[in-house]
Amino acid sequence: MGEPSQDERYHQAAAEYGAALERLARGYELDADRRRDLLQEIHLALWRSLARFDGRCSLRTWVYRVAHNTAVSYSIGRRRSGDRNLVSLEEVELTLGDRDGDQAAGRRHALAQLTGIIQGLKPLDRQVILSYLEGMDAASIGEITGLAAGNVATKIHRIKTVLAKRFSQGAQNAE
Amino acid sequence: MPNETPQDQIRNAWQRQPVENVAMSLEDLRRKAGKFQSRIRWRNAREYAAVAVVVVVFGYYCKWVPGPVARAGSLLTIAGALYVAYQLHRRASSENAPAVAAFEDCLSFHRRGLERQRDALRSVWSWYLGPLVPGLAVFIAGTAIAEPLPIRYRVLSGTLMFGIVGVVFWLVARLNRSAAARLQSQIDTLMS
Repeated sequence: MGEPSQDERYHQAAAEYGAALERLARGYELDADRRRDLLQEIHLALWRSLARFDGRCSLRTWVYRVAHNTAVSYSIGRRRSGDRNLVSLEEVELTLGDRDGDQAAGRRHALAQLTGIIQGLKPLDRQVILSYLEGMDAASIGEITGLAAGNVATKIHRIKTVLAKRFSQGAQNAE
Repeated sequence: MPNETPQDQIRNAWQRQPVENVAMSLEDLRRKAGKFQSRIRWRNAREYAAVAVVVVVFGYYCKWVPGPVARAGSLLTIAGALYVAYQLHRRASSENAPAVAAFEDCLSFHRRGLERQRDALRSVWSWYLGPLVPGLAVFIAGTAIAEPLPIRYRVLSGTLMFGIVGVVFWLVARLNRSAAARLQSQIDTLMS
């Protein structure tokens, strides 16, 4: 059997990672219409890129690299018209003390808050947290983002702190 | 699940959130790819149209302005504008290299994109402003020389024109330098 074609690879990638790509787009774009545009851009970039898929990394790594890189380019283009200050995970961690009252929120509120935090993060921190939320380990996140293993581990530690402090009660209430 | 940590709970909640299952058929993708190419063609066409305006205007000057110096300035300005168009085209082509997004990890891709923009802004004198300077300088000098006015008025009008064009160029260069500095600080943050 020969190598799968570009179209076959795209179908496989869309079937396996379509839902994850939608969640990823939520981490980059608040507005529903623009999010749909971004998602279409990601699918288009993915389909085009798969013409040159050469197995240098797994399909999953390939899909996430294309998706994040396309989303970052898209949001850089958007930010030219309305500049917005992005923050790092460290800065989010430092502001946690003010938000204890939010902890009683339910899962939907917790997810909305989490999405808001993700959208306000700097690109690399955003990529790490989105990958972490999709259940990836540090090695996979490093392969996608290009960050060193130690750096990824530090960021994951911060993410866990943020999630524990901010969302523990909300998540428990939701179950 | 009783043994789930709060982090696991929010991670599971994230993964279980409803999605729209947006699907794109191959026909949709091909149509969108075609639109993408046509958007690039339109952008290029706009840049070429701006160059065409410069060529037409200075071509007109070349024919009608009095004196060989101003005509030589017109020709040099046209040559400068063509060089700028070539540089814009070259830079746009490297930006649109197909399907490179997966060959690089996110850090390299993002850094390279920022560096490319920074370098284009930093070198604006060598590829955007600089090529127009000789033509405009010779043109302004040539029109001032050819004016049927006493010499002091010709000097005054030439100086005024040099001043106006100089201020515009200086402002453009300054805006580009500030933008390049902002990009550099983003690159520094990325690498820290």
